Amino acid sequence: MGHARPLATSRSATGIPTGRLAVWWILASEVVIFGGLLGVYIMHRIGHPEWAEAASHTQTWVGAINTFVLLTSSFTAVLAHQAAEKGDGKKAAKLLGMTILGALTFLVIKSLEWTNEISHGYTITANTFWSFYYTAAGLHALHVIAGAIIMGVVAFDAYRGRELHRVELIGIYWHFVDVVWIFLFPLLYIAK
Amino acid sequence: MSENHENNEPQGDGHDDGHHVNYFRIYVVLLVLFLISVAGPEVGELTGLRWITLITAFGIALVKANLVINNFMHLRWEKKLMKWVLATSVILMVLMVAGIAPDVLNHEGRNWQNLAAQAAVERGLGEDDHGEETMLAEGGAEAAPAGFSAASSFGTVCATCHGAGGQGDGPAGAALTPAPANFTDPAFWEGRDRDRVLTVIRDGAASVGGSALMAPWGALYTEEQLEQVTDYVMAFRPN
Repeated sequence: MGHARPLATSRSATGIPTGRLAVWWILASEVVIFGGLLGVYIMHRIGHPEWAEAASHTQTWVGAINTFVLLTSSFTAVLAHQAAEKGDGKKAAKLLGMTILGALTFLVIKSLEWTNEISHGYTITANTFWSFYYTAAGLHALHVIAGAIIMGVVAFDAYRGRELHRVELIGIYWHFVDVVWIFLFPLLYIAK
Repeated sequence: MSENHENNEPQGDGHDDGHHVNYFRIYVVLLVLFLISVAGPEVGELTGLRWITLITAFGIALVKANLVINNFMHLRWEKKLMKWVLATSVILMVLMVAGIAPDVLNHEGRNWQNLAAQAAVERGLGEDDHGEETMLAEGGAEAAPAGFSAASSFGTVCATCHGAGGQGDGPAGAALTPAPANFTDPAFWEGRDRDRVLTVIRDGAASVGGSALMAPWGALYTEEQLEQVTDYVMAFRPN
């Protein structure tokens, strides 16, 4: 890009661009948030064999479809980054749009899944397993929503050739959301 | 390829031209791993080997996460500093979890018992026989455990501190300050009524300004059972 960049995007004692440094710092704190939550879940799950009954009611195929959706959205996010690096803002914006579509698909499937479960009496207060289930997946879903909104803003700019470096930044965040789900999926749907 | 990258500092960030990842290939590998992890439980069930399920579930999750972090998030090409920051975060998180683990994984130790957790396991496993109808019919985990009686509940839960005779002389109570209440002492009952006893059993003594050592037991019992345990305690009251 020909125009001058704001100082803050390049000023960095670490040699890492400031924006990317910030995203990594956020993720470092997210590691503790999600890691702590999942770690405590795993400990309780091992200590409570009776949760197997409650856990057997989660729908594996629904979780599987959502895993596929998120993996695919991560793929389009990294392609968007690639396009941005080549300076193709329009292509990056379109690929980000596809990623947002993935986020929305994920959320629609999640709401249908939860509606079904809640209508069967499996609410957040039913027992501690369901409490963990809704807390962990809910916190993750909030991250999906936040990511989709930010991607919308970044795509809007990228389409006009502005702030292309942000495509990488939102991508890194989005892959992290994918990684969290990669661990949530086996915990809540596979080895439950 | 790099002329449009936002970061043009002379030393570079090792991030511009260094990586020629075939993203599509990584994506395909991720999908194959994903399919294996979904098939894992089926194989585990067919062969009766639960460790197959665990390995295909969590082993593959680690491999997938590794692929995404290194190839999609490009951590592989990131400055060492950032890897250390993230590693510190992971280590602190693992330390925290490991520090709590002994108390959560075990429900009893040399000098302690987690009665609430033990009771939850017992109640939960007992429910298996009735299946989900019981649980749902009762609208959650409130299903009454078979064989509840106020006397046996008092014996296993309350008597540990308050003593089988309610005299505040239970084995675990000796070391407590303040000492557990003696229900047979008329002085104890001054200014205390049934409602207060029920509240303390359900919400803990701290809820009425008393000692936090008297824990809340409301999660263990239904309202009806709490009433019965309260009646049992009230029976100790001297006339």
